[in-house]
Amino acid sequence: MSTYDHDTLGRLIAVLRPVPAGWVRAAQELPAARRGIDDIVDRAVADAAYRERVVADLESALAEVGIEPTPPILDELRERFRSL
Amino acid sequence: MLVVMAALTESDADLVGRCRAGDAAAWNELVERFSRYVYAICTQGFRLTEHDAEDVFQDVFTRVYTHLDRLRDDEAFRPWLAQLTRRTCIDRIRLGGREVATEDVEPGDLDETLSQLDESLAIHEAMAAMSDNCREILDRFFAHDESYRTIGESLDLPAGTIASRISRCLDKLKSLLEETPPPTRPEAR
Repeated sequence: MSTYDHDTLGRLIAVLRPVPAGWVRAAQELPAARRGIDDIVDRAVADAAYRERVVADLESALAEVGIEPTPPILDELRERFRSL
Repeated sequence: MLVVMAALTESDADLVGRCRAGDAAAWNELVERFSRYVYAICTQGFRLTEHDAEDVFQDVFTRVYTHLDRLRDDEAFRPWLAQLTRRTCIDRIRLGGREVATEDVEPGDLDETLSQLDESLAIHEAMAAMSDNCREILDRFFAHDESYRTIGESLDLPAGTIASRISRCLDKLKSLLEETPPPTRPEAR
């Protein structure tokens, strides 16, 4: 069993610093983002004009459905369109 | 109220199980519980810039969400996450262009740093069993570098009592750590 003095405990608490604002929320919104991507893809399959708009501006398409266009989300949407 | 590490009301394995079942609240808690750990691996372990660390951070949690079914032992979530973050950091560094061996990408003191992060995570897990007040005071003072005055104003406590409260909370934390056996840390598979 380890024993800790106050200095060691304080130092170890300090090691895990707070994550910059917004990062945690963006990660927590991933499940909703994936559902949003599914909706975009479904709509793009059914609507050629919408599909063209999405391909031209992926970020705006995500923003329209309330999804923050983080790089992994953009990559995933790009990949889904590539495989359509 | 300041957001501190999520209270450990259940084991990592149970939490992972609920995430896999599509429980949105469980996913929120999992991200909250491990966000600082992933961030620390990026910035302290690999010394990524804030910009690169943000990309890796989001990428890691995206991979966790999509690959959770690949985790063979839910008890091994923490080492699996550490490995995933480590590989994602290496991929990010290699994105810079050069073809380099893994040992040249990883800082020489990486294992030592990761070991310290694991120990810190265990301390934060123990803090989750403390009162909200103690947990918040310790987190504000040590992790957020807040002054006695700021803590006192935020929590509506006299600034002159903060130092003694910190000392008492550290005593409680020390007792908790001595009473509770360290959690089993399975290796990632």
